[in-house]
Amino acid sequence: MIQAISGELGMIERLQRSEFSGYVHSVFDKTINVMCLENGELYTLACHRVDNAPNTLVIDVNSFGELGINMNDSVQVAHNRINIGSKLVIAMDHAKLWESIVPSYPTDVELLKKNVAKMNRHMDMHGTRGGMKKPLPSHRMFEEAVSSMLLERSEMLLTALLRHEMSTAFDMAVRLVGLGPGLTPSGDDFLVGLFTIFNMPNSPCSEWTDFSARVVQEAQGLTNEISYMAMKKASLGRVRESILGLLHALIAGSQEELLLALDRVLNIGSSSGTDIATGLVRGLEINIHRGGKICLPKLSSNKARILIPYR
Amino acid sequence: MSTKVVIKQSTYFDSVSLMSLSTKANQIEGVEQAVVAMGTEMNKEVLRNVGLITPELEEAKTSDLMIVVKAATDELCESAFVAIEELFKKKSAPAGSSEIKYATIDSAAKSIPEANLAVISVNGAYAAREARKALENDLHVMLFSDNVSIEDEIALKQFAHEKGLLLMGPDCGTAILGNVALCFGNAVRKGSIGIVGASGTGSQEVSVRIHDFGGGITQLIGTGGRDLSEQVGGIMMLDGMKALDEDDATKVIVLISKPPATSVEKKVLAQIKQCKKPVVVYFIGGTEESVVAAGGHFAKTSKEAALKAVVLAGADESTINKRALNIPLVEEVRAKLTPEQKYIRGLFCGGTLCDEAMYIAMEKFDNVYSNIQKNADYQLKDLHVSQEHTFLDLGDDDFTNGKPHPMIDPSTRIVRFLQEAKDPSVGVIVMDFILGFGSHEDPVGVMLPAIIEAKQWAEKEGRHLEILGYVLGTDLDNPKMEDQVNKLMDAGVTIASSSTNAGLLSREFVVKGA
Amino acid sequence: MSKINELFNSKISAINVGIEFFKDDILKQNATAAHLEWKPPGGGKPELIAALDKLENAELLEKIEAANKLAVERIVNSQPILIGFDQAINCVPGMTKTTILHSGPPITWDRMNGAMKGAVTGAIVFEGLAKDLEEAAAVAASGQITFAPCHEHNCVGSMAGVTSASMFMHIVENKTYGNIAYTNLSEQMSKILRMGANDETVIARLNWMRDVLGPMLRDAMKLSNGIDLRLMLAQALHMGDECHNRNNAGTSLLIQALTPFILETNFTTEQKREVFDFVASSDYFSGPTWMALCKCALDAAHGIENSTIVTTMARNGVEFGIRVSGMAGNTWFTGPAQKVVGPMFAGYKPEDSGLDIGDSAITETYGIGGFAMAAAPAIVALVGGTVDEALGFSTKMKEITTTENPNVTIPLLNFSGIATGIDARNVIQTGILPVINTAIAHKDAGIGMIGAGITYPPMEAFEKALLALSEKMN
Repeated sequence: MIQAISGELGMIERLQRSEFSGYVHSVFDKTINVMCLENGELYTLACHRVDNAPNTLVIDVNSFGELGINMNDSVQVAHNRINIGSKLVIAMDHAKLWESIVPSYPTDVELLKKNVAKMNRHMDMHGTRGGMKKPLPSHRMFEEAVSSMLLERSEMLLTALLRHEMSTAFDMAVRLVGLGPGLTPSGDDFLVGLFTIFNMPNSPCSEWTDFSARVVQEAQGLTNEISYMAMKKASLGRVRESILGLLHALIAGSQEELLLALDRVLNIGSSSGTDIATGLVRGLEINIHRGGKICLPKLSSNKARILIPYR
Repeated sequence: MSTKVVIKQSTYFDSVSLMSLSTKANQIEGVEQAVVAMGTEMNKEVLRNVGLITPELEEAKTSDLMIVVKAATDELCESAFVAIEELFKKKSAPAGSSEIKYATIDSAAKSIPEANLAVISVNGAYAAREARKALENDLHVMLFSDNVSIEDEIALKQFAHEKGLLLMGPDCGTAILGNVALCFGNAVRKGSIGIVGASGTGSQEVSVRIHDFGGGITQLIGTGGRDLSEQVGGIMMLDGMKALDEDDATKVIVLISKPPATSVEKKVLAQIKQCKKPVVVYFIGGTEESVVAAGGHFAKTSKEAALKAVVLAGADESTINKRALNIPLVEEVRAKLTPEQKYIRGLFCGGTLCDEAMYIAMEKFDNVYSNIQKNADYQLKDLHVSQEHTFLDLGDDDFTNGKPHPMIDPSTRIVRFLQEAKDPSVGVIVMDFILGFGSHEDPVGVMLPAIIEAKQWAEKEGRHLEILGYVLGTDLDNPKMEDQVNKLMDAGVTIASSSTNAGLLSREFVVKGA
Repeated sequence: MSKINELFNSKISAINVGIEFFKDDILKQNATAAHLEWKPPGGGKPELIAALDKLENAELLEKIEAANKLAVERIVNSQPILIGFDQAINCVPGMTKTTILHSGPPITWDRMNGAMKGAVTGAIVFEGLAKDLEEAAAVAASGQITFAPCHEHNCVGSMAGVTSASMFMHIVENKTYGNIAYTNLSEQMSKILRMGANDETVIARLNWMRDVLGPMLRDAMKLSNGIDLRLMLAQALHMGDECHNRNNAGTSLLIQALTPFILETNFTTEQKREVFDFVASSDYFSGPTWMALCKCALDAAHGIENSTIVTTMARNGVEFGIRVSGMAGNTWFTGPAQKVVGPMFAGYKPEDSGLDIGDSAITETYGIGGFAMAAAPAIVALVGGTVDEALGFSTKMKEITTTENPNVTIPLLNFSGIATGIDARNVIQTGILPVINTAIAHKDAGIGMIGAGITYPPMEAFEKALLALSEKMN
């Protein structure tokens, strides 16, 4: 029997109600995904080296590689135990509860501005190429084409948003879905970052949470389930711990804290971390830009609250 | 210029692997360009834009992995794909695939210094030799194999005793050491009760009852069925008791066995006297007097043994659900049976479960036949034909001979079950379904079609066919206890909550004038 | 605390023998378990189990362990030195003008297979004992020729192993124990006497080897203080050879060591050039050299009372024979020679192959060749497998050997020594047979090498050896 270390509140509650049965959807070294038949969402079991995240339970194993878990193994929950085939039994009794709470957009943006600039510089130096960050020139047409399309569409998306050309923005966002290399295509990762920013309470952009919800609705079927799930949760302001850590550091952290937090994000996947961070930075930039011009109606921040569960 | 495409359906690799794959694929000699990407619409659009799209790629789904290689010639493409497949193989090979395999206990023990136990289940003809090798290497031994001669058993146990090691077996089906169930065992809570058992399913039964009563197990030591015979002299039970008595975590000791040889019983009782801890003794069909005289706690049934142990370990008896016998149910069933339907037929996978039910029946009936009856007068004349009250231990050599044990493959019971179901003199058929490690993954499911069929026959003939089922397992076991019980109930099977209750209910269903 | 109480307080780490799912169940419960690749000892034959049991009797066991310890010590400590080259008639003990040595256990002319017959008749013609092959066959059958196994004359011979009086031999001296081993020169590749080919080109090459190559090597070595072969072998293994079927590195090392002395001999530059071209024509040049090294070390371990260590594995194309240290002298235990499985040269089919032949399995007996496949990932194609499998072979052989030779190591296995000292008891106990890398000769006379692959000895040879040992020991 293996103990769960921590897990997202919503997931643990669902597990405790035993409203959970399904099958193993995909198996990686550090995580496995489980398709829950009750609500059709993917849930993740992660080894202890992985951070907390939406729909994720972190359990006390080093890696899944040796446990012999296969795709389509059945997953059953009873009496506070998750049974994966007959290969793994997980007890949740001592799991710490975790919630994804996106920090509020600050009233004073001076530190944020400085930190965004630092973050941009750091990513120029240390970001992973291949997705939102242009690959080094090569003769490989696919890579080149992917990268220029990613840049083009993300820029057009941001411009359209700022101009309130919502149909163009929508079109561009949808055309980022599923675009790029990696298990979670770079376009998706970028949107995860961007949607996270929209969900910051008091954000000048929080009126766009609706927009992100519509994009996500359209995204289903345009990318794989694993990537879709991350976008869907991000559109609800639920993202992994390392992203939240980075936001906190951006708002109020010292340079050291910022770089530590940023590296944690950049280490996600291959180019995924860089792609997410790019989404965050671009989102914050339009926030700063908009915040300077427009005084926000209170309404949108309230709405953001409603959309964020467990507050 | 040549292009080759492979689509791996529903294949997920983490991004880091995909990226390194892609990088390596692009480095393969002769490859102009290699693409490794998920089959999303947008990625396909890019492929279209750069002229790499093929009809096959158009069909790729978002969960598919697309691999495209462009090279100067077909041959180069082909060889690139061979190389890419190699990369995949390396990626998908589970860690530890190059795990070293050992051929002998000697070499394994040498290479795994932390090894502390050998689980031996090879053919009995070779088992003693392997067990000896294990003991020589200072390994404790769980000897699952049967057909080991009594001389070998004595020699091995004496050797183990000298070395201070456990030699559990031969023919030892169950043990739980440090919360790890070996061979056949159930997932039970960790607790403060230690068990030494000479009978496998009896030990399993007591362990699951303890769990059901809210208690838990420290260690369950199996000794093998012959340990308490005159010849072997109870070497392992005595050593096991001693170790549990010295174990800090153990508060109560439970002994389970068929009644020992007289000389051995004396030794065991003498040791009970010396034990610092309370000892519950369940010698199936044994008598109370001597146990009590030795200061032990006598249990007449497996259920009583578990209950006494849990209470001695400190549980408040009033808070335990003792699963009392359902008297109204007995009345109900009696009412359904005709006067001709007067016999019990027990078809057991677990030997001790058979034994217990049989002894319970013998308290009220004389005409109780079995393949494991001690009294030769009541041994079945023909194993394939039941007489009056018949209890069959289908796991006994009489039946297994060359076939898997019915705990592993309960289907061996089907034919006999249908035969009994047709017998109009049968009042109740009682069967056990054993869950847990080692056992069949769905013992109820295997029997279910036969049960349903038999019920239908009986219905056609206008008689009631009473089937009593007992599912041995805990809520932590696989498959789920609850599911197994529900399946039986749905098929109209009456459920007993314990081995003891299975014995009592079957007897009471057919007892006359009670 | 008693060992049982210790067990109560430790994490279970089990060794599972028999039903595999018991291991899986243990793993599911977060404990560790290793499952044995177990086979019934002695293939389940009661007389073999009885013999094993007898040899495990404490008193006997002690004697055997002591004897084996001595035997493997002698193998490991042997330091074979190449001290010279000379014609067989001048150096090989018991050699006569009409003696023909062959590979493997003893065999009569009528029972020899095609390749060996081809080699024998070729050698008879080469020695001038017959004018042509036809007459040579008659001579061979006439009883005028003394046939004997190379092994019984301190020699080893590759493939057919056919060695006659005027052939030049390596002379390898065991610096540690003083014994000497011999083997003839590589004819390099393909259509050659040792593979059963015997036409004029073959004989012409043999003549040149007798007249130019051999004398040049002899003279060269006279200028040398001897070449430490074990040191060179260790280097070759580090350079990717397993020194049975892959000799690329070893041949370079050997010729590198010989070259300065060759240059100083009184042969013409043209002749020297011929010799270098000849060496360069095949990587096999050093193959026989390693065989002589192995023979030299193993002979030093032969004849130790009570030892169950295998000192010889050799095949004559019909039978596979082994010798064990505890049965002194020329006591052979034999079984049928096996097929060799592996890739064939273009145009040949598996049914063209002759059975396993040659004394070259002396390399595996020493611990290189198939036993050291982990050192030579480049030859995995030979076994038709993967590098992992090659590593597996080397690791697996440790199940049947007694020690590791620290003087000859395998980098990929963490520089562990080669598996040394095959114990006949372990072979019977585990059912694991020594793995042998070898060439495939055509089954008919006169054709030669048609492929390469791997093979195993017949278990029967080890069974007979074990029974004999158990009978002998008391």
